[in-house]
Amino acid sequence: MTQEKGEKSINLTVKVWRQEGPVVKGRLETYEARNISTNMSFLEMLDVINEELTLEGKEPIAFDHDCREGICGMCGAMVNGRAHGPEKGTTLCQLHMRHFSDRDTVVIEPWRSRAFKLVRDLVVDRSAFDKIIQAGGYISVNTGGSPDGNAILVPQEAAEKAMDAAACIGCGACVASCPNASAMLFVGAKVSQFALLPQGKPEAEKRALAMVREMDDLRFGNCTNERECEAACPKEISITNIARLNREFLKASFF
Amino acid sequence: MQLDSKQPGGPLADKWDNHIFDLKLVNPANKRKFEIIVVGTGLAGGSASASLAELGYTVKTFCIQDSPRRAHSIAAQGGINAAKNYPNDGDSVWRLFYDTIKGGDYRSREANVYRLAQISNQIIDQCVAQGVPFAREYGGLLANRSFGGAQVSRTFYARGQTGQQLLLGAYGALSRQIAAGKVTLFTRQDMLDLVVVNGQVRGIITRNLISGRIEAHAADAVVLATGGYSNVYYLSTNAMTSNISAACSAYRKGAVFANPCFTQIHPTCIPVHGTYQSKLTLMSESLRNDGRVWVPKTPGDKRQPRQIPESERDYYLENRYPSFGNLVPRDVASRNAKVQCDADKGVGETGLAVYLDFEDAIKRDGKDVIAKKYGNLFQMYEKITADNPYEAPMMIYPAVHYTMGGLWVDYNLMSSLPGLFVLGEANFSDHGANRLGASALMQGLADGYFIIPYTIGGYLSGASIEKVSTDHQAFRDSVQAVEARIQKFLSIKGRRTVDDFHRELGTIMWEYCGMSRNDENLLKAKERIGELKGEFWENVLVSGSAGQFNQNLEKAGRVADFIEFGELMVTDAMARKESCGSHFSEAFQTEENEAKRDDENFCHVSVYEHGGDNKDPVCHKEPLVFENVELTQRSYK
Amino acid sequence: MNWFISTLWSSIGKKLMMAITGLCFCLFLLGHLAGNLTVYGGKDLFNAYAENLHALGPLITLIEILLLFLAIVHVLTGCFLFYGNFRARPKRYIKKKSVGGRTIGSATMPYTGVFMLGFIILHLLNFTFIDKADQTSFQIISNTFSSPFYVMFYMIAMVVIGFHVSHGLWSAFQSIGANHPKYMPFIHIVSIVFSLLIGAGFGVLPVYITLIS
Repeated sequence: MTQEKGEKSINLTVKVWRQEGPVVKGRLETYEARNISTNMSFLEMLDVINEELTLEGKEPIAFDHDCREGICGMCGAMVNGRAHGPEKGTTLCQLHMRHFSDRDTVVIEPWRSRAFKLVRDLVVDRSAFDKIIQAGGYISVNTGGSPDGNAILVPQEAAEKAMDAAACIGCGACVASCPNASAMLFVGAKVSQFALLPQGKPEAEKRALAMVREMDDLRFGNCTNERECEAACPKEISITNIARLNREFLKASFF
Repeated sequence: MQLDSKQPGGPLADKWDNHIFDLKLVNPANKRKFEIIVVGTGLAGGSASASLAELGYTVKTFCIQDSPRRAHSIAAQGGINAAKNYPNDGDSVWRLFYDTIKGGDYRSREANVYRLAQISNQIIDQCVAQGVPFAREYGGLLANRSFGGAQVSRTFYARGQTGQQLLLGAYGALSRQIAAGKVTLFTRQDMLDLVVVNGQVRGIITRNLISGRIEAHAADAVVLATGGYSNVYYLSTNAMTSNISAACSAYRKGAVFANPCFTQIHPTCIPVHGTYQSKLTLMSESLRNDGRVWVPKTPGDKRQPRQIPESERDYYLENRYPSFGNLVPRDVASRNAKVQCDADKGVGETGLAVYLDFEDAIKRDGKDVIAKKYGNLFQMYEKITADNPYEAPMMIYPAVHYTMGGLWVDYNLMSSLPGLFVLGEANFSDHGANRLGASALMQGLADGYFIIPYTIGGYLSGASIEKVSTDHQAFRDSVQAVEARIQKFLSIKGRRTVDDFHRELGTIMWEYCGMSRNDENLLKAKERIGELKGEFWENVLVSGSAGQFNQNLEKAGRVADFIEFGELMVTDAMARKESCGSHFSEAFQTEENEAKRDDENFCHVSVYEHGGDNKDPVCHKEPLVFENVELTQRSYK
Repeated sequence: MNWFISTLWSSIGKKLMMAITGLCFCLFLLGHLAGNLTVYGGKDLFNAYAENLHALGPLITLIEILLLFLAIVHVLTGCFLFYGNFRARPKRYIKKKSVGGRTIGSATMPYTGVFMLGFIILHLLNFTFIDKADQTSFQIISNTFSSPFYVMFYMIAMVVIGFHVSHGLWSAFQSIGANHPKYMPFIHIVSIVFSLLIGAGFGVLPVYITLIS
């Protein structure tokens, strides 16, 4: 039948970064993944390895995942040197094994950045992103007392562009794939969303300054406009948002 | 046990306003002295944490993921309802109320649902002010679209990511309070027990998922916003960590559980493809606007769909329900797909799928028009299945994705345990036996932004709450019990993995307590769950240790609770001897095989009280009184 | 002044400094190239140009000081950025592949930069800080270019500059926030054309000079 058309079983050699904790030494370990259906998702392939490891009395590979439909931003790892693997606009949970061939070797490493401390194996601590949002990634309105929804007119184009930026899932692929481990796309997306909307204007300056300061304090790298973030972003968020962040920041600083 | 729903008196439209006035207030200066624990950071938990902190309460918020932004509310696609009547098509608070109560097949409380409809408009205002990028018309006004179960356009949306955007709005508000020091955030924490002191809920026990440490947290009240239990079916559209454990711990401590058998099964999901599948993906209900559902007329027909001529296709929804056709409500569409597959007319390798065909729509409107409407969904489908829906029909099958049942709460959203409040999908209150599309987001935010801030004040100012610290014996006992249970999991060292048990539980629940239920199957389910439970506690294999990041151990606790909860669901399904909404009991159907309610005997909420370990639960009933709507039979012919 | 320093010291501020100094160098390159093109008009024209240029006296000194200042800012900021970026990922990937954003120009910026610094010092030693008393400007260059090794080195340097500028020019616009869907494609094209112009314009000079000498 059509759905199973082209379904195959493949065997893979999987090399996974194993590290028990942030301070101990890690290493790549090699596993054989046998009879992997090409209809499986990448994480389901890891599930298979983990179930085997558990039955052998070994510790399964720790990896973050939750919604498995590409929206929560929990999953993510470097697959053969690429954030979220080889497919464009795809999170790791949506990557399917049909994009691999029999006897491929797959190297899986965690996100690497000074700002993302390793927790275990492929799990990293991305609370730095939360801290950046806490610095100003919101509009300061309390619950209640808001005017009628239609009292604020938002041009459709502005709403669409804001939505493009707001699609960020906070997975960290931008930082992971950036040669400098910079978080500019993440910050740029949030600053842009609110800079584009009339609701965000009153605090636009404060927001840009505070978020950039926090980002710098957390020791993310600097943007050198390499565009790897944009290419790796599973939501394909554009670097025009970084330019807008630069603009907002400079405007707020100098004027 | 006395179940007082505390619905206020007076005319329906004035109940909430009167109630707000009647609730006692907490002096602004005193608010900071009250500590409130909120568990969960989805739409309900996130909005509640932020709103309570804004009022001045001292809030501690817990989430299971590494960031509050990842709660599963984020996956909601379609939209959020509100009775704004912006399109001028005759919507009103009353109509939203009526649609919701009818959609729920008259198994929800009038007063709660009316309040929900009233608050719906404020939610939109709030979210717009927060910078949620809702879809707009060219003139800059908010856009609306239609959704199932309603004849008006009242759904607000942000592309196919409405849940994400609303959640990020609440997450922003929460982040602002964290920065202000009003909320202390605890991430990667799993709530494992509820602590009750002198009959009042005074705290929780959590496991730090990174260090494995068991932590006790005390407060003056606890708010649970821990979502639903669809994962009892193993395969569902819920996130992997969505679980029932927090609610289960409350249930074991005396909170009563309402309508556990009401689970919604969504008709348009991508079918199961193999035994290692971990997760089902929903395709928006909007596809049924243009897609035609069909199966081959001949059972066992294995030809390619395009080789089956028109005359040999059965467009069963259009044939059976000429006036609603492919747009019948979710429960009806799901049940009919199952009937076809049971008759061996299912398609695909597994035979557990039906076609959703866009051939005619593409012929009629052209590929471009269809691509504009559904392009992103077609793309998502292709990403998962490697099939192109423009060429071959989609294959879809129903999947579990929402649970209407939950911890019982009164009009104040307080459970049967004083000091324990339950919000969002975790409570049972507003959707009856079936939830309408775009109503879940509305309820989560209504509970968190606009109800709990009022009602929790009423409790805190009225109750006499003594100072309690985590040194109290009740906390120590709880910590000990939690640690003992963890040691038990680790010491069994059996031969089956946790996932293996979960998969089997899911199969039992889906086969015997799924879309269509009968006593014979439910009995079978009961028996097999009992066996599974016995085997679990003797043969489960959990690797690693307690004091480390240990995902197997996390899952073990969740699956143990799912097994226990599965029994309760089956018990409830057997007790409800009628068909209503999502609960279809084969013995109770009309001549045309539609659900047949029994309003005389079952117009009530079934509420279960924990009877003790390995004992049957005690069933209570909260009668549902309808003063404003007339109970009618739903018909879509 | 505190705000000023903290702005420039921020990650975006550093990029701003790189962008502005870089754009100034692009302008300088354009002017330098325009002057050098007089070679194609023959040695007399070139010598005349050189004399006229030196006749500007203090203005030239001022521009030289300015260029030196820009160079110091550009190089130092570049070093700080490089060091910060290096530190931002203490543990490198075992396997890392580009996903298609990087170009040769962008990926090699720090290295082409260092190479150019070396080249510029050598260039200044060869052509600026040299005894000009008994030879014309044209003689100086034709002497220097008489060595085929030097010609080769010079041409490689021009290719390197081309790569550096190919990323640097559009990147400067992005850094100061001038990215607009309407204009960015044009800026990208200008960057490529500009880098080719600089690379080819300077790069062909030694060949021509060797031919006419």
